[in-house]
Amino acid sequence: MPQSRQPLQSSALAAASLATLRRGDQLFETERRLNAVLNNASVSIFLMDDRQHCVYMNRAAEHLTGYTLAEVIARDCPLHDIVHHTYPDGRPFPLEECAIDRAFPQNNHERGEEVFVHADGHFYPVGFTASPIRDDSANIIGTIIEVRDISEEKAAAERQRLLLNELNHRVKNTLATVQSIAAQTFRGQTDPAARAVFDARMAALSTAHNVLVEDNWESASLRSVVTRALAPHLLAEIDVNRFRIDGPDARLHPKVAVTLSMALHELMTNAAKYGALSVPEGRVHVTWSVEPLPDGRQSLDMLWEEQGGPEVAPPTRKGFGSRLIERQLPLEFDGRAQIDYRGAGVVCRLQVPLTALGWMGQDVIEGQPAL
Amino acid sequence: MTLLNGRRVLLVEDESLVAMLAEDMLMDLGCEVVLAMRLDKALALARTGTFDAAVLDVNLGDTRSYPVADVLFERSLPFLFATGYGAKGLDAAYQGVPVLQKPYQQGPMEHLLHRLLTCEDLARKGAAPCLRPGCACKAPPQAMPPGLSGFQADSPA
Repeated sequence: MPQSRQPLQSSALAAASLATLRRGDQLFETERRLNAVLNNASVSIFLMDDRQHCVYMNRAAEHLTGYTLAEVIARDCPLHDIVHHTYPDGRPFPLEECAIDRAFPQNNHERGEEVFVHADGHFYPVGFTASPIRDDSANIIGTIIEVRDISEEKAAAERQRLLLNELNHRVKNTLATVQSIAAQTFRGQTDPAARAVFDARMAALSTAHNVLVEDNWESASLRSVVTRALAPHLLAEIDVNRFRIDGPDARLHPKVAVTLSMALHELMTNAAKYGALSVPEGRVHVTWSVEPLPDGRQSLDMLWEEQGGPEVAPPTRKGFGSRLIERQLPLEFDGRAQIDYRGAGVVCRLQVPLTALGWMGQDVIEGQPAL
Repeated sequence: MTLLNGRRVLLVEDESLVAMLAEDMLMDLGCEVVLAMRLDKALALARTGTFDAAVLDVNLGDTRSYPVADVLFERSLPFLFATGYGAKGLDAAYQGVPVLQKPYQQGPMEHLLHRLLTCEDLARKGAAPCLRPGCACKAPPQAMPPGLSGFQADSPA
């Protein structure tokens, strides 16, 4: 036996050829290095033979499963029957149904997620990576499986899901509450027509948020924003040719989605009251293109065109809609917007550089470079 | 309120619908409003514009309005922060700045602007030295307290 307190040897010797390493003390050195690596690794490592029996597991694997290597070897059965024998719902989990077993893999780095059973009986979610071990003739003689406890990731994802549900609920509820407060406050004191305008705007705002909910508040589909904003008229139309909506889909930053929704709502309301949607033969075309900008962002160029409506006269005073579209929208997004009250029909052109997706702190939380 | 009449106020607010509300409130108070909705525009205006006071929304979507605050400190222009989170939502270095709780309300907005322009609050909290020519308060110029010494114009913009 080599002396037990021998120091780790230099890397030059570790890189020596196999022939040299056949000497016992150097084999010992190699094994000691491998053990040092394996037993200090925080990932669990299992070495399986061709019968799916575990022939080696490192210290992290013993800790993860609650079994020692000696116990597992003494059981003389596939590892599956020791750590993976039951589904979380209590049904038995036969080896034939096991994804890790099927991943007696042909390819390196087969990945997946499973739920294991600890020696004490509790279930825990794991992520695994399985790779084949080959003999000198390239026959597969076993599998090496790395396993990681992913309980914390699962719990974090679940917390995130609950928070998003709560956020969705709160936002919708707050909008409904505001609507109710307005109704109670102005009951009998406001022109019912003004109340109807207010309610429609609240509904438009609520709809804009619906589109955001669909993608976890990260972005919204441009096409969805357009069709949802126009839905109050779109859905009520018998004549399918009344609207022409044409343009490529794109992902919108939540702020763009909300303001654009409100802008389209105002255009639609105006068209229904005075423009093309106030007569049966009137038509509305909403068309757009999305072009790359030199700075890497995209730019939305949208055209709202009304045809076949009554003769248009420029409004005598600028209301909420034109203020929102012509003043706020360009200021908010560094874009351009113009409403042209042409006699034949209102034409509105919106040019909006699309804000890069993402939210404050996202790069920190997701470990990505800043946008 | 006569004191606010004709005062030029820089309003920095990044949400279109909310900006319209705050702008209307300030105009109803007699102020002349210059609106910026993006950090770059707000910074340019803060550096070169002429204002009696500023109202800064803290959260500008993917960024904060602190660089604008730094410029206003530099120029000794009185300002307040508007935030839905209260003073606790401010970075420690800006804790001395008056806070207008969102949602915007005309009463508190008027009250805070009035105090800003008479410098009562500033002199008491030492948030900024009163150097404005023609200011009614005559508060003596103060050295910046240690916690505020980091406000320099070279902050990241």
